[in-house]
Amino acid sequence: MRKTNNVIKIKDFKVDKGLPFDQEYNFAYLDENTKKMIRRAIIKALCIPGYQVPFASREMPMPYGWGTGGVQVTASCLTKRDTLKIIDQGADDTTNAVSIRNFFKKTSNIKTTEITEKATLIQTRHRIPETPLKKKQIFVYQVPIPEPLAFLEPKVSETIKMHSLSEYGAMHVKLYEDISKNGHIETAYAYPVKTNDRYIMDPSPIPKFDNPKMNNSPAIQLFGAGREQRIYAIPPYTKVKSLDFEDYPFDPFKAEHACDICGSKNTYLDEIIVDDAGNKSFICSDTDFCNKRKNK
Amino acid sequence: MIIPILKVTNLSKSYDNIVGCKNISMSLYPGEVLGIVGESGSGKTTLINCLSGNLEPDRGKIIFNINNKETDFLNISESEKRKFIRTDLAFVHQNPRDGLRLNVSAGGNIGEKLMSVGYRHYGNIRSLATKWMNKVEIDKSRIDDLPITFSGGMLQRLQIAKNLITSPNVIFMDEPTGGLDVSVQARVLDLIRSLVNELNLTVIIVSHDLAVIRLLADKMIVMKNGTVIESGLSDQVLEDPQQEYTQLLVSSVLNV
Repeated sequence: MRKTNNVIKIKDFKVDKGLPFDQEYNFAYLDENTKKMIRRAIIKALCIPGYQVPFASREMPMPYGWGTGGVQVTASCLTKRDTLKIIDQGADDTTNAVSIRNFFKKTSNIKTTEITEKATLIQTRHRIPETPLKKKQIFVYQVPIPEPLAFLEPKVSETIKMHSLSEYGAMHVKLYEDISKNGHIETAYAYPVKTNDRYIMDPSPIPKFDNPKMNNSPAIQLFGAGREQRIYAIPPYTKVKSLDFEDYPFDPFKAEHACDICGSKNTYLDEIIVDDAGNKSFICSDTDFCNKRKNK
Repeated sequence: MIIPILKVTNLSKSYDNIVGCKNISMSLYPGEVLGIVGESGSGKTTLINCLSGNLEPDRGKIIFNINNKETDFLNISESEKRKFIRTDLAFVHQNPRDGLRLNVSAGGNIGEKLMSVGYRHYGNIRSLATKWMNKVEIDKSRIDDLPITFSGGMLQRLQIAKNLITSPNVIFMDEPTGGLDVSVQARVLDLIRSLVNELNLTVIIVSHDLAVIRLLADKMIVMKNGTVIESGLSDQVLEDPQQEYTQLLVSSVLNV
């Protein structure tokens, strides 16, 4: 190990409270001009539901794929009055959620919460909370690949044309392949949707169980893809329909179990291997919802 | 009077200073099969790429007249053009790998065009795909197999099924039997001929193989250096070629 003078002492960290507020940063890390540019992209995205707006994504102090897009959108929407909730796979206490929450505590000194109803801004990776979103909440998704057509058509110039001319036939080829291979639509996450009867959109890798929650939601839903430099959005009360076939309708699948902690039968569950004998336990992936039910 | 389904006037396309094709005029009537022959580099492929919308020509006019609806192919918006190409035209590539999605099953490939024109019923798409697999003589048990497991001749037949399933009005074929061995060629040609007769297709077929043209085409044009040097009924041109180059072409066919 190299010796340096400014070694950070581990005991200085208080993981539960996060890092102390650092005045050296501009509020919420990004400079005001960058936030203005991102807000413009967000407004444009809200005006054209499901349309991917390019933006000049910045380098963030975290690797691509860890939510750089979501973080930039969150940073641009944050005000000092906001209460922030960060979730990763439904949980508030996993690495990605903890580090992003600490990042915003350190750079903006705002209130954070784990309770969905209390949050005014929620950033998520891979889940929509079980507690319904409400009016005046902003919901930010971290998106790895914003282009739903990317797997069928590698050329971006061509996918842009396909979107602008609504040439979406190829999208169903993927679903056709699923049915012919498995007898049902196997796509379980990042299940493509049509937004406002116009643009086909990748909802980020949320389980298809969550897709119906996007439809007609009273909250503002924003999607940020940092590496791919795209922002898109669903304004409140917008129709969001999952693609399907007439004879194979969309099915929001979940595991056929109840939560082993709170007993909930209609929430999305994580399957956990609990010992070397392969025994399993199913628990709610939304930790906030599960805790609340358990404590009732 | 029969109106031509396709009328081309003074079509030219060059690549920088190199002539692709020059001042081509021709017309094609419904149900007709037109063969285009010529040596490599004579502009055959440039011509059908211009006609099928793959290339933008420099000058000239292309008018399609389908069901009494005239379409000025070079003066419509891009969305109309793409829709027209999708619904009214079809293109069979020389290499079937260019016209198929190799990571999508045979059924998915055949069904793609249906889905792109609005079919949303899996059962119907599947049964139409099966019907067309039968038509092009591919065993229907292969419907869920990937094209990479198919032989060259099967791939070409699959590509033909994929293109014909939506009953396009004009079909372009660029050397459809080019990469196949002789016995497979014969089978694919036989298939194309029976489909042409059965479905009364309007086809433009490019080939340097005069046997293909004699077998399939009603009319033919001979190209050299980007221009049409001879045209007429194919029997007439092949039996009594007027131009020196055509005479050379006809006499250089091997008789086994």
